[in-house]
Amino acid sequence: MGMKSIRGRQRKVSGEVFTTSMADIVFLLIIFFILTYTTEVDRTQVQLPRSWVRTDVPAKSAVVSISAPAEGHVIRVSTGEEISLPVNTDEEIVTFASNVVAQDPSKEFVVKADARARYERVDAVLDALKQAKVRTIFLLSEQKTVDSE
Amino acid sequence: MKKSKKKIVDPFIFTGSMADVSFLLIIYFMVTSAFSATRGLDFALPEESQNLPEIQQEESIDVFVMPGEDLQLQVDGKPLPLEELLPYVGAKLRDNPSKPVILRTDPEGTYGNMISVFDELRRAPERFKELGLGIDNIETISIPTRREIENIWSMLGVV
Repeated sequence: MGMKSIRGRQRKVSGEVFTTSMADIVFLLIIFFILTYTTEVDRTQVQLPRSWVRTDVPAKSAVVSISAPAEGHVIRVSTGEEISLPVNTDEEIVTFASNVVAQDPSKEFVVKADARARYERVDAVLDALKQAKVRTIFLLSEQKTVDSE
Repeated sequence: MKKSKKKIVDPFIFTGSMADVSFLLIIYFMVTSAFSATRGLDFALPEESQNLPEIQQEESIDVFVMPGEDLQLQVDGKPLPLEELLPYVGAKLRDNPSKPVILRTDPEGTYGNMISVFDELRRAPERFKELGLGIDNIETISIPTRREIENIWSMLGVV
């Protein structure tokens, strides 16, 4: 039928989309992402274990990650400043951690391990960190909920 | 006098490309920012790992995570479900609050199971309050590594 006419005159329909508030929304989003932006030093995809008790991990903590058994329990280390690198032996973890501790004796370490990982590998990592005289270790976890029990 | 023609200055700022630039920035920050988990269970290690705490079998509570995918526990050598762990530990600590809890995990066990048990032990303050045991917390939770356990055993002359 087309446009409705009022007293025989054709009603004008604006052909524009209202975009004035787009700039506000876009800048809000940009600011949000800038503020929450953290570079991920370790991109190993892991299924983290779940726990009720969780404390905040300090920013720039050193990271040791252990991948899932299906991916071969690959261990990667990062000082928290740059992208993580894989290590081949447990001695390399001790050397890495010792170097980090030598620079900052109170440096926190994060163990980011897959929940399905064999404990033997986690034990080796914890042992290496203990040998390097690391003081605080965080075992990265996800929030446990009533549903996930 | 010749009247000079005034140059007309356009008072508008060209904002046509702003949307492109803004969306590019949004997409960049969305893709590169990591909403990774930044919380976890903390545990502090003893200052001097050379001075291993003296552990006597009967003076500590031994929690052992059995091998396998399913969570199975042995507490002081006896199988115990996870829900009964804190009531058991609480009853033991009531007699001697300084008793350390030793959390051991079989090498064939999974990390997830070990975390479940460690998490349960860390929940002691609230659970003890619920149970009305009259104690506040577990003073020491120790997670010795296999090497440390072997050292202790050799010190005790077991091996």
